[in-house]
Amino acid sequence: MSSSLQYKLREMLSEVNNFHLGSSITCLEILKAVMAKKGENDVVILSKGHSAPAFYVILSELGFLSDEELWSFADINGLPSHVTRGLTFVEVSSGSLGQGLSIANGIALASRRERKIYVILGDGELDEGQIWEAAMTSSHYNLDNIIAIIDRNFRQLTGKTEETMSKEPLREKWEAFGWEVFEVENRAGKILELLFELDEVKGKPKAIIAKAKAVGIDGR
Amino acid sequence: MVGKTIESFREAFGRALVEIGKENENVVVLDADVKSSTKTIYFEKTFPDRFFQLGISEQDLVSTAAGFAIAGRVPVASAFAAFMMRAWEQIRNTIARDNLNVKIVTTHSGFSDFMDGSSHQCLEDIALMRTLPNMGVIVPADAYATRTLLRQIIENEGPFYMRLGRDHAVRVYDDEELEIGKAEILREGEDIFLIACGPMVPIALEAAERLRDLSVGVADFHTIKPMDEGTLLKIAKKANLIVTLEEHSIFGGLGGAVAEVLGEKMPKRVIRIGTRDFGRSSRSYLTLLDFYGLSAEKVVKRVAEAVGR
Repeated sequence: MSSSLQYKLREMLSEVNNFHLGSSITCLEILKAVMAKKGENDVVILSKGHSAPAFYVILSELGFLSDEELWSFADINGLPSHVTRGLTFVEVSSGSLGQGLSIANGIALASRRERKIYVILGDGELDEGQIWEAAMTSSHYNLDNIIAIIDRNFRQLTGKTEETMSKEPLREKWEAFGWEVFEVENRAGKILELLFELDEVKGKPKAIIAKAKAVGIDGR
Repeated sequence: MVGKTIESFREAFGRALVEIGKENENVVVLDADVKSSTKTIYFEKTFPDRFFQLGISEQDLVSTAAGFAIAGRVPVASAFAAFMMRAWEQIRNTIARDNLNVKIVTTHSGFSDFMDGSSHQCLEDIALMRTLPNMGVIVPADAYATRTLLRQIIENEGPFYMRLGRDHAVRVYDDEELEIGKAEILREGEDIFLIACGPMVPIALEAAERLRDLSVGVADFHTIKPMDEGTLLKIAKKANLIVTLEEHSIFGGLGGAVAEVLGEKMPKRVIRIGTRDFGRSSRSYLTLLDFYGLSAEKVVKRVAEAVGR
């Protein structure tokens, strides 16, 4: 199933110079799991907005986008290249990195306990200082309905994450910020299983480090 | 008494927020560890469950406020003007772009934080906010205008930036009905019109009085955006000289906005009074205003020179 999704993604992006293909490939598995887990009132925030192609492929798989819409990606009147508020399941526009976790905190504080908020972060995105401001806020307010999923693909725009700006020790960083941290292989089935287990984990915000092998073929 | 009584912008803001909070339980307030200075502390004391401390992190503050708006609340995000501007990109990309119902209210703008010097004296925020699509920009002239316009930005859907000073709010209004988007003509004049915003409004009134052998009008353009073009063009039709006054850079602020409209629709000589540089520390607000040519005395001199007096 996942390979057919990847095929669709590659086909869609072949028209546009493989626009953010690498980060979309590793994000596919995460989004597939999250969208399968998402309850009606839950919110998904794609903080790494450049993985919009993966999001659209999942939406089409779920029947919310037609193939025709999918092939309109980044066309002037087509699907926007980064997710935009107003699209199905999109509560907030992204594209600028580092803001999704703060926004999630706001939603969580405004509607505590009523809903879960899934935030998908890139590992490169963690360079943004605001992520860590927000990580402090989530734990300060014990927002255990926040689930951050880090797409740990070891790549960022210009190279390997550890050469560009070290992320490790990543687990310890999140733990030090007061989060409950889980590591998982970047496979939809494994992630989904973990997401269900996390429903029982209370008292702290939760971070999932979803580890993939780097793909690194972004067309930018 | 108008023109004599000195009130405080931040006191007016803090007290008004509590009153509004009593009527509208959807209003929440977010702070970046300056509540005792911005006076949002009054709101916290009255509604502890609707007050959220984000710590010294303006970027997180602004984006968290966006989350509250997405969830249907009416967030008021408040901090010092200078430091709120470090979150300009967050304001642009999330609040303005998604047209979210966030109210950004800053204090300590202009020279009002006289002691703290150039790092704290925000002279660029009107320009930075005015350029953003969807964003309304409001600069109240006194404590009364602060109260009434704050209520209106909260009642009106959409993002607003409200710029306040710290203290030293010279009273301009008694109980006039101010309306966002509508400029107030405070004094009629034929030859020269002083168009001001914020704390420069009472200074414009004083300058006009001192220039009374000329016919000098005064208008309060508390809403920089959307600009009241109708009133502006009406003023420009009769006046030979327009003078803008703001506690802000002359580049991109009120003066810029006025010149843009007139340049395109009714070319007229416009003198922009404001700043061209960063501020500096001073032991008194009024000394600082005078140093930068913004006292009534300096304004009078500048206008008199411009008309060859």
